[in-house]
Amino acid sequence: MILNPFKSIRQSHQQRAASHGRVRPCAPRAMDEKIQAALDVSYRRLLMTGAMLLFAFGAITVRLVDVSLMQAASEPRVTYAPRMQEMRMDRADIVDRNGTLLATNLSTASLFANPRKVMNPDDTARQLAMVLPELHEAEVARQLKSKRSFVWLRRNLTPRQQWRVISLGLPGIEFQSAETRVYPNGTLAAHIMGYVDIDNGGLAGVEGTFDTTLRDDAAPLQLTIDARLQHILRKELSRAKTEFSALGATGIILDARNGEVVAMTSLPDFDPNDGGNARPEQRFNRATLGVYELGSTFKIFTAAMALDYGIVTMRSGYDATKPIRISRFTIRDYHAKRRWLSVPEIFMYSSNIGAAKMAEDVGTEAQRSFLRRLGLLRPASIELPEVGAPMVPSPWRPINTMTISYGHGLAVSPLQLASGVAAMVNGGIVHKPTLIRGRAKSAPAGQRIISELTSREVRRLMRLVVEKGTGRKAAAEGFLVGGKTGTADKPKKGGYSRRALISSFVGAFPMTDPRYVVLATLDEPRGTKKTHGYATGGWVAAPIVRRVIERAAPLLGVQPIDENSPAVKKELHIDFKREGRQLASF
Amino acid sequence: MMRARNSSELRLSQKFWQVNWPLVLLVIVIASIGFAMLYSAANGSFKPWASKQMTVFGVGLVMMLIIAVIDIRFWLRYAYVFYAFSVGLLVFVEFFGVVRNHAKRWIDLEIIQLQPSEFMKVTLVLVLARYFHRLNIEDIGRPHYLVVPLLLIAAPVLLVQRQPDLGTALFLVLCGGAMFFLAGVRIWKFVVVMTAAVVAVPVGWSFLLDYQKSRILTFLSPDRDPLGEGYHILQSKIALGSGGMFGRGFLKGTQSHLNFLPERQTDFIFTMLAEEFGLAGGLGLLGLYALVILYGFSIALRSQNQFGRLLAMGVIVLFFLYAFINIAMVMGLVPVVGLPLPLISFGGTAMITVLAGFGFLICASIHRDIRIGRHGDGS
Repeated sequence: MILNPFKSIRQSHQQRAASHGRVRPCAPRAMDEKIQAALDVSYRRLLMTGAMLLFAFGAITVRLVDVSLMQAASEPRVTYAPRMQEMRMDRADIVDRNGTLLATNLSTASLFANPRKVMNPDDTARQLAMVLPELHEAEVARQLKSKRSFVWLRRNLTPRQQWRVISLGLPGIEFQSAETRVYPNGTLAAHIMGYVDIDNGGLAGVEGTFDTTLRDDAAPLQLTIDARLQHILRKELSRAKTEFSALGATGIILDARNGEVVAMTSLPDFDPNDGGNARPEQRFNRATLGVYELGSTFKIFTAAMALDYGIVTMRSGYDATKPIRISRFTIRDYHAKRRWLSVPEIFMYSSNIGAAKMAEDVGTEAQRSFLRRLGLLRPASIELPEVGAPMVPSPWRPINTMTISYGHGLAVSPLQLASGVAAMVNGGIVHKPTLIRGRAKSAPAGQRIISELTSREVRRLMRLVVEKGTGRKAAAEGFLVGGKTGTADKPKKGGYSRRALISSFVGAFPMTDPRYVVLATLDEPRGTKKTHGYATGGWVAAPIVRRVIERAAPLLGVQPIDENSPAVKKELHIDFKREGRQLASF
Repeated sequence: MMRARNSSELRLSQKFWQVNWPLVLLVIVIASIGFAMLYSAANGSFKPWASKQMTVFGVGLVMMLIIAVIDIRFWLRYAYVFYAFSVGLLVFVEFFGVVRNHAKRWIDLEIIQLQPSEFMKVTLVLVLARYFHRLNIEDIGRPHYLVVPLLLIAAPVLLVQRQPDLGTALFLVLCGGAMFFLAGVRIWKFVVVMTAAVVAVPVGWSFLLDYQKSRILTFLSPDRDPLGEGYHILQSKIALGSGGMFGRGFLKGTQSHLNFLPERQTDFIFTMLAEEFGLAGGLGLLGLYALVILYGFSIALRSQNQFGRLLAMGVIVLFFLYAFINIAMVMGLVPVVGLPLPLISFGGTAMITVLAGFGFLICASIHRDIRIGRHGDGS
């Protein structure tokens, strides 16, 4: 009955109205009709309203079924993607030439908070500070009270730390798994590797240069460097830097035949795992970004160009009895012999006067052209963002020609020097230095700069320096080291400092067929008792090269040679006879 | 011809026989479900809610029967007085009300606290039924006859909005609108008003308070603030989903008993019911409500006088709006408004209001055959 009250209601209603009319004939008819009309209208409206109510009830019934059964119950989902696109995931590894891991990624958990979900900021901060003592409670509480929905609390938790935070069971405290760039060898090749920012974006070194590649390419990036040699070089440089209280030190081992950088170090260095906090002088790459007047090492180029242009021969020479005065400068020798010197003697005794006269004969244009072809007048070509531009004199006057002959007035990076020396000793081919394994092979054949014959003469000269000249401390027994010392006064305001030196030695071995160029440079070394107060390249830098070669050569697969064998003697023989006559003074 | 006789002449005992006892039984069944849910909401205890609710219900039930047997012409005659009294209470709240949850809605009478805006709902239905009863169908077509009822609606709406209580204010507007519709106001007038309302939405938005704005935004997107504004509705949906087909069982709803579900004894009690008794329980309650509405609908249809018919249907619309808005709210179909589930939610004033409404409904049923003149005389 209650369920079906509508049946024939209208009919009964009309009957009843009619019956009323009969029962009460005194009621005015017009009134009845008006009431009837009103009732009819309201009857229609009643039904319409009823239909609307029915429809509305149907709607919530459907909705009830929907939310009860159709929709899977779930916690509110996180609808934002916190800086996901900036997360560098799966950055490619970097390995050395032997596949040793230099840079890789570790999955870590980073702690962040959604302050809008945090129930009690003060209590949450207190509990977090208890398990992570390095967090500052007040600071965390302040962060948790912010209106934002995402704040980093701490990056890269250890699993134990993460477990402790999870155990607290704090709402609104969450973890973001991220990849952290890790350099397992720490400082080993800091300047080559560079470092990444907090979101794994490369900022320096090959991380910076190859940022895009490392992000896009899953294959590891293989470098030309050898972690073992890098270690040796760094260790020896570090020792010398300490021993001679130097401001800094630079070392390079370069494959003379193809320009591959086998090791390269700049001290002081930094830990790439924490690159962002390194001091500027630590981040500064002296090997490529720093440019220096590298002193007498440049005589290698001077001799080579003079020999190659045919200006001099191994037997010709120059008068070095007195200093050259040109305008307001005086060019004098450190180890003044005050006599005529043959070209090998000029080289061996590192005579500035002889070198200057040689360069004068070569001429400004020829010298400039030579140095340009050697790549010393533009920034070094190397796969690092940190490359310094050489300081080239402009205009290039005759006086510049003369000073550049012994390494003053033109500042280049140590890498450029090493690379130039490689071209002098490898038979005369200029190879662009590279850090990327495989590049040297695919690179176009190098430019010839001097003849094979000249190159052999340069080798003899360099061997002579180690055998009998200023570089004797570089002699690594059995590896036929040749080289050239360089001691440059550091420029200071308005001239050169007598006390502050850049002391270098650039060598190559074995001199019969050089495989590697090794360079060591100390910045402002101080002489010790052992060196009798000397801080010249021959005293401080040459020993570094010797020790590096002694340790590195076996690893590089260079066999020791009997230095006194006739073949070697012949190959490296220098005839000290002056053209047309014997050296009478000896 | 018992029916043909003027039932005002029925004796009191006869009137009691005329009371729609099946409807009273339905009301008691629904209220009992409410007691059970309040018992569950208190984690299996009659205190603090169920026992209090039962007391209020007992009082309300007696009051309902008293209202029912009083001659309908009495209510017609004094409708304006009740209305004036209710408006007076609202004005009283305006000056002496108790502030709770940032809104001034209550009158504190030491023992009980009253929410006059609840009473206003049923009184508004009463007074509009009274007003429209007086008009014939031509009068309703004349716009100037609509000025008075519009003012009758506007006065409480403005007072309630000042509390501020947008939900109840809109509720009153809907009730009043329904009464206009039932009275036969031309449909095009509704169209005009609704169009104007839609146009006015952007203007009205700027007048809303911040919490009202955010509730509407939250309704549009509950994920906006899952722990704040959106918390209620998301937890409610989770609870509904967790109930499934037959629920987790009485006293076993996890969302509600673990305090995830806020206001589970009042506005969100339907969610708890649906979690503990599942879809079946929810549909069961909807069915009971539908029965009540159908019963009231039949009473309205049978009423021979315009006042009784409007009053009965007005009460049904009122009851429907309570149930519909509350259930639609917990399911996220409409924004969160503080509206109880009729006969179930804890809350004395709403219970009394609904029972008083049923009193008028039964009254209209008992006195369905009375023909009432335009001014409440026996004609």
